[in-house]
Amino acid sequence: MKSIQKLYDRIVQRANINLRELEFDVNPYVQNFIPFEQMIKFYAFFGISPHHRLNFQFKQSNLAGSYFLGQCKITNSLLYKSDIRGDELKKEGDLFQYQGFEIPVSRDEEIDITDSLLIKTLVHNFSHDPETLEEFFIKDTISMNYANIHGAPSDGCFLGAFATVDLTTMRDSVIGNFAYVQAGEISHLDIAPGTVWVRVPGEFNFMYTHPQDELKHYIYFTAGIAPQGQLIDFVEDRKEAFQRVFDVVNIEHSIPVPNSASLDRYAVSKPPIHIGENVLVSQRAFLQNAWLGKGANAQENCYIINSRLEGCNVTAHGAKIIEADMGTNVFVGFNSFLKGGPDSRLNIGKDCIVMPHTIIDIKEPLEIPEGHLVWGMIKSEKDLKRHSIAIEDFTKIDGGFSMGNMFFEGDGASFIGGFKERIHHILEANGAFFNGGDKKGHAQKNQYISFNTLQPYPEGPKKGLYPTIVIKP
Amino acid sequence: MNYIVKDLMVPISDYATISEGSTFLDALLALEPPNVDLGARIHPHWIVLVLDSNEKVVGKLSQINMLRALEPTTEDVKNIDKLSRFGFGAHFITQLRENLRLDDTSIESMYTSSEILQMKVEDFMKELADNDFIDENTSLATAAHQMSVRKRLSMLVTREKEVIGILKLSDVFTAVIHAIKSTTG
Repeated sequence: MKSIQKLYDRIVQRANINLRELEFDVNPYVQNFIPFEQMIKFYAFFGISPHHRLNFQFKQSNLAGSYFLGQCKITNSLLYKSDIRGDELKKEGDLFQYQGFEIPVSRDEEIDITDSLLIKTLVHNFSHDPETLEEFFIKDTISMNYANIHGAPSDGCFLGAFATVDLTTMRDSVIGNFAYVQAGEISHLDIAPGTVWVRVPGEFNFMYTHPQDELKHYIYFTAGIAPQGQLIDFVEDRKEAFQRVFDVVNIEHSIPVPNSASLDRYAVSKPPIHIGENVLVSQRAFLQNAWLGKGANAQENCYIINSRLEGCNVTAHGAKIIEADMGTNVFVGFNSFLKGGPDSRLNIGKDCIVMPHTIIDIKEPLEIPEGHLVWGMIKSEKDLKRHSIAIEDFTKIDGGFSMGNMFFEGDGASFIGGFKERIHHILEANGAFFNGGDKKGHAQKNQYISFNTLQPYPEGPKKGLYPTIVIKP
Repeated sequence: MNYIVKDLMVPISDYATISEGSTFLDALLALEPPNVDLGARIHPHWIVLVLDSNEKVVGKLSQINMLRALEPTTEDVKNIDKLSRFGFGAHFITQLRENLRLDDTSIESMYTSSEILQMKVEDFMKELADNDFIDENTSLATAAHQMSVRKRLSMLVTREKEVIGILKLSDVFTAVIHAIKSTTG
């Protein structure tokens, strides 16, 4: 345990040095909430398949309960129940498009995690930083429960619980609980909890901030107080179901899965479940009484309960859909929490875009008309009117626009176009458009993964640390 | 003439002073002498110095500090103000502030709000830092440089550790013009 504690001290010190300008001390946020005892109990696991590169290097780290795929290097780090998915990394010879330039990728990209502490964090996608195309780095960084580091190289940052940084290089910044940032590049920023910020300089800038008092009911986490709130309760209540999935070596799902679809063996599925063609259900997804139409997906840490997704639905990492009916092509962004009830169903019409980190929590039935952009915190019909707009109307914005606590400046058509393009890319990458021959994606490729486990030293001075391991084809 | 700071400064006795614990209204009354002539644009020295119980200068209140103290601090205003840190344009932010002012009638009463008028000066004064002070024997060139790089409209002039006067940017600038004219003319 001494080795882990020493490693922890080193990581905290390095993060604090980076965050000194913001006068942010990570120690009170993490010191009592790191499950050191648990870190010795759980095995790590990695996937191998003919469709994914294989190059793992683990050195001087603890990897408890974490999952690795693709090309990853982990050094001097503590990773607890985190998913490091290197299945979308760039390949040697790829051309990276950036501001009219085509930059060739000189070698296969790898995820490089150094001197960092990641708790139940998802790392996915690839580096969008044109300066580090071959290295998706995460260094001197601490991320807390259910954070997403998605295509976002990080140096000296702290991410709160349920925070997401997406397609953004971040340096020396603090990302508050349940904040979402997609801004290309940020430095020395302290982002308030519940901020949703999407910016492409010169094109558009979108910002919404959740009301802090209301957000605290869903997620509250501050110095000296463990993460708590409805979101934590929701996940904790379903933790046991995952226990069985991780305890059993060979698990067979009883649910029929078409040849073109994939239901990960580390997902929880509680019948009745319908899995359509080209459906992707990732590890750590939770399905209960769920109907997933053709091309729908449920990514890591998603929960779909008593709900129906008509098809080509993107349910991004960490999104939760409860007692809801979703039309086709509905996009639900990262960590959104959409909660209807048995007598208060949530109905979202086709082609809607639910912004990342949206909260819908209703006691009366609610219908969102097709083709709407939705954001913020919605608990009633009245809230919906203040937190949604027809996509067609949004595309006409040219200049400044505000609605309640949402501010937008720039070209509305560019904002919507960017989202639609990205949704199409996600569906394509996930294999939603697979036609039996072409357009294979994760749904088809992930069927051929086998899993292997790794374990730490059980006793002795290195107790809890994993031995240095290099795994290559 | 080779000016130095003490040639240009205004003696501290010319300035209004108030004690810590005074209110916004006290500061306002101290700042405005009864014979001020707004029509003729004759203004006194628009700074109030804040003294602690040992009569030591611990802060100063300028016009900008007073105006900032009058700013409403509602959640809506805070949300708009923070936009500038996130890349939103100045024009858009100004427009949002104007719209908010029109929507929020409470802003109309900000000049009579007892909450604002009774605010303690410590809450909105500019606390003094090392770079607010300048020695009385500093040359004009160095003083001009320091005011320029430190973006100061005024600095406190010291003899040993005692504050003896105020150096104003307008006086420094006038002296610079003088110096230029005397060398070129």
